[in-house]
Amino acid sequence: MDIQKYQKIFSQESEKYLKELDDLLMAVEKDLFNTGLWGDIHGKVHSVKGMARALSLERITVLGHNMEEWCKNFQSETVKAHPDAVQILFNGVELLRLLVARSGEIDSAEDQRWYTHLMSQLKKGPEELAAGGIQAKPTPMKEASIGKIDYVRVKYDLIEELLGLSQEIMLLEKSIPLLSHEQISGGLKTWIDDYTSMLKGLHFRLAQLRLMSVGDFADLFVKTIRNLAQENGRKVRFEVIGGEIQADITLLERLREPFIHLIRNSIAHGIEPPEERTRSGKDPEGKITLEAMRERERLIIKIGDDGRGIDRSAVEKYFREKRSMSDDQISRISEEEFFDAIISPEFTSASETTDMSGRGIGMNVVAQAIEFLGGRLTIRSESLKGTEFIMRLPVSLSIIHTVTFKIGDYILSIPTSDVESIQRREAPSSGGAPCYDLRGLLGVKENQERSPYILRFKLAGEKYTKEEMETEIAVAVDSVIGNKRMMVMPIGEILSKAKVFSGVGIMENGDVSILFDIKNLPTLPNNSR
Amino acid sequence: MEWFSFIAADEHLGIETQYIYRVVDDVKITPVPLTPSCYMGLLYYRGELFDVVHLGNLLRQEKAKRKDGEWIILLKWSGKKLGFFPDRVRGLVWVEDQAGSQRIHIEEKETIRLITPDLIWNKLLEFSYGYSKIPENIQPGI
Repeated sequence: MDIQKYQKIFSQESEKYLKELDDLLMAVEKDLFNTGLWGDIHGKVHSVKGMARALSLERITVLGHNMEEWCKNFQSETVKAHPDAVQILFNGVELLRLLVARSGEIDSAEDQRWYTHLMSQLKKGPEELAAGGIQAKPTPMKEASIGKIDYVRVKYDLIEELLGLSQEIMLLEKSIPLLSHEQISGGLKTWIDDYTSMLKGLHFRLAQLRLMSVGDFADLFVKTIRNLAQENGRKVRFEVIGGEIQADITLLERLREPFIHLIRNSIAHGIEPPEERTRSGKDPEGKITLEAMRERERLIIKIGDDGRGIDRSAVEKYFREKRSMSDDQISRISEEEFFDAIISPEFTSASETTDMSGRGIGMNVVAQAIEFLGGRLTIRSESLKGTEFIMRLPVSLSIIHTVTFKIGDYILSIPTSDVESIQRREAPSSGGAPCYDLRGLLGVKENQERSPYILRFKLAGEKYTKEEMETEIAVAVDSVIGNKRMMVMPIGEILSKAKVFSGVGIMENGDVSILFDIKNLPTLPNNSR
Repeated sequence: MEWFSFIAADEHLGIETQYIYRVVDDVKITPVPLTPSCYMGLLYYRGELFDVVHLGNLLRQEKAKRKDGEWIILLKWSGKKLGFFPDRVRGLVWVEDQAGSQRIHIEEKETIRLITPDLIWNKLLEFSYGYSKIPENIQPGI
């Protein structure tokens, strides 16, 4: 990602956090010793600082760090919060706002004095404030601090409604009456074509409003993590990586419950109490990390902790007792298969049912939810180092480029990034890759002519498996429609059963195409080639 | 309680109107390979995707054929979306709440079997999808 794009995301995200900080500071002003609120304030400042550090914005990082130190004191009740401390932090938020707007730069002597003064106050620490060594005064509001309105909150239902309306307008195209020669020559046909083309573009843009950033999604869990940690006597911090990545809000909504379950598990069974962590030489504060990334058309979301890891002996017991396996057989199971056992409905490693973990849903329900989205859940765990749940979701609602082709009546697409070459069958072959006849595989009626086009692919091995090597394959298709931009939607529960589709593509004209998962082809029997 | 009544597989069926999102016709359904014969395809409607089935054929387990001008009943419930073609639409009937009853009587000797969207959905899930059988007569590779 280029730096300017990242800076824009930083600016947008920070503005959101700073607005939330204003609200939180106003709340804590009325409830000074509410450690939960101080925890939330700490979290927001930490988020701004973290993003600034990634962009090497030194002033914002240092200011954020000093504000965090104050919050920590009030959060842990090491120092009693004081109304003037809230004012100092209000001033800090105001200064952060100015620095974010100017990419961390200070361009006037007045602002430099403001920065130096506030930093000296913050560095003295809240103890000094309590002793009367700091005088907190509100910073005079600067004009620049009242930013222009860039965003408005819109209800999701309204977006759906707008999408519906735009699609209905598009459908009117189908009922255009026959035009006379005079009307056509008078330019009416061109005008209608232009009009419908713009409508389709509008619909396509509107559909993108359904995207939500993973960072916003992660914010939903901040308070839950804090509450669960407190209930269980754990210290937990929450880190988000790849928060700028966007995904379909309906997809993220379906991940909400599974995530809460995984977070509960992490806090109840994974992250150790602070004293146990200290004894093991770990930071007493545990960490839950949510990381998002894109891999071609896939959205990968990982959620992990740095806790004690999954109890291997409980899993081994399951293999011995439920699957009648010997110790020798168990020792030969791959790590992936070993931890897959946890997804099994009859598996339970919980030694006791707690209010948090024993809610009647196990890991199998989490796996089912991922499967419903056409994705796959993989578990990695290492004793004393932690556990990571990796969700590989074949699609999210996003825009991708595809090669779209026809096999019989079926319109199918494959991400352009997967396609190595397209050639006519009679062209000289450039390799000996196995070639699959999709007509036969998809049950399309045979005709005398062989499919005239050959699409070649070079597939990278799965990143999270040991199979790192590339695979070359080719498929024969009836016709190539061309390169298309598509909005990708999840495949849903019914079609995900086929295990050969990775999503549904919506073209700019509203036509639908199925995204064919070419990666499944090499696993087919030889006689399909 | 209001019920939408229709004929499918020679049977008079009813579904609660609260599940009906829209009744549409003249929409484009995209066929999907490797699906059972009752599965008609996907419909992209108002920004959402609907699996569309031919209900009569799903119940009879016969090959489905779409006729022009047929209505599709779109259902939305519990986060699921499904469209179905009935063999024939009868209309709406209003009957007093008959809690737990699976059949209601509307006229002399005529009864409607009440079904839920989940019943159709679960029936659809019973079918096999994907490469259930690799045909033997696939053309050889290049």
